[in-house]
Amino acid sequence: MTTRWRLIVLLPAFLALGAAAATIILGLPAFGHPLTRYGTAVNTLAPALRNVSNAVTSVMYDFRGIDTLGEESMLICAVTAAVMLLRGRRGEGETESAGRLPGRAWADHTDSMVLMCRLFATTVLLFGVYVVLHGMVTPGGGFQGGVIAASSFTLLYLGGGYAVWRRMLHSQALVALEGAGALVYVLCAAVPLAFGYAALQNVLPLGTWKDLYSGGLMVIINIGVGIAVIGSFGALLLEFMEETRAPKGKPEEGET
Amino acid sequence: MSVLAWCVVAWLLGVGIYGIVTSRHFVHLIGCLSVCQSATYVLLLGIGFRWGAGPPIFYDHPPGTPAVDPVVQALVLTDIVVSAAMSALLLAIALQVHKRRGTLDPQHLRPLRPFE
Amino acid sequence: MNWLIGVMLASCAVSGWLVVISRDPKRQVFALCGNSLVLALLFFVLQAPDVAFSEIAVDTVVVPLLFLITLAAIAINKLRR
Repeated sequence: MTTRWRLIVLLPAFLALGAAAATIILGLPAFGHPLTRYGTAVNTLAPALRNVSNAVTSVMYDFRGIDTLGEESMLICAVTAAVMLLRGRRGEGETESAGRLPGRAWADHTDSMVLMCRLFATTVLLFGVYVVLHGMVTPGGGFQGGVIAASSFTLLYLGGGYAVWRRMLHSQALVALEGAGALVYVLCAAVPLAFGYAALQNVLPLGTWKDLYSGGLMVIINIGVGIAVIGSFGALLLEFMEETRAPKGKPEEGET
Repeated sequence: MSVLAWCVVAWLLGVGIYGIVTSRHFVHLIGCLSVCQSATYVLLLGIGFRWGAGPPIFYDHPPGTPAVDPVVQALVLTDIVVSAAMSALLLAIALQVHKRRGTLDPQHLRPLRPFE
Repeated sequence: MNWLIGVMLASCAVSGWLVVISRDPKRQVFALCGNSLVLALLFFVLQAPDVAFSEIAVDTVVVPLLFLITLAAIAINKLRR
């Protein structure tokens, strides 16, 4: 199908969608005047009922905890599928160097650059952990902090190059982190069931408002989600980076 | 002003679909898909927004001050992370397509051909 | 605050359009970065710091990086064929 035919097919679809969108836009409440009673109720009740100052986190891990469990399993499924697809025909072997295109500039890794990248990687990792731990108190939480911590791994690649990155990161460890984080969440849902409560019922002491430990069971779920997100995004970065490695046994050309 | 936000949502969705339909490169197509996804974020946050309200974090201001809807924010938050993982999955599929077929142009791909 | 939200919404629409019309995937990666940065600022203005945080961490850093790695892998694959 050429682009022209695609556009001809698209036109009636856009006409129908445009009519539907116009109807919906005119029917929606005016911007800035919401009718959401649920949100207002959560805003009033969350600090009093759960001692948590971040209402978004309390919705995510407590009031709609099962929903987030579903979202996290979607994340794990997508990451697992991507890793399987990438590993599929490649196998798990390693080579020492990344592939590179002829004609690209080749920069050597100086000691100062390696040192700076490692320092910054540590700082970014610590910042990610900080964001995870303060999810109950200030903006942040397992999802955001986990991604920040996982992005620190790329600094190791920038500093040390391919071989160093492969020596420092192990795919098994990352995948184990991913699974362990998801297991923590599932256990948080299942253990209260075993004692006759509802799933994900907040059975732990709630802690104090504005404190690092506030929100009871939410703290554990938050850390579990953080671990799972670090593992899954780290595994994704590692497997994608593996795709760019040089073919086995073939020497690098043009490298000095 | 009151319909501008919803018009932007419709525009983002429409532009994303247009990009997907006319795309000649699968990686470009995945980028257009993420524009479509951003339409849902703007829609959800626009529905939860309230004039004169603060963020739903009661650290500096005491509970009881007006704040925007936290429920839609929780939905968007997980949505962003999951959609990133979905983009990664689609990129992995695109890589496999390129390995097996040698092209990433949807017009040069023929379906259901045995792998040679 | 009124005009600020309007400006952010308009620039969000423009940057989304730019992502679609940049047909070269290498350029599109940077358009995507810009688009998600604008979206993150819009979320700040809409009083959603949590979401803006997530948008900056995920869609401005990790996803464009995955796009770039994919493009590099495709280029290396092409060389190998």
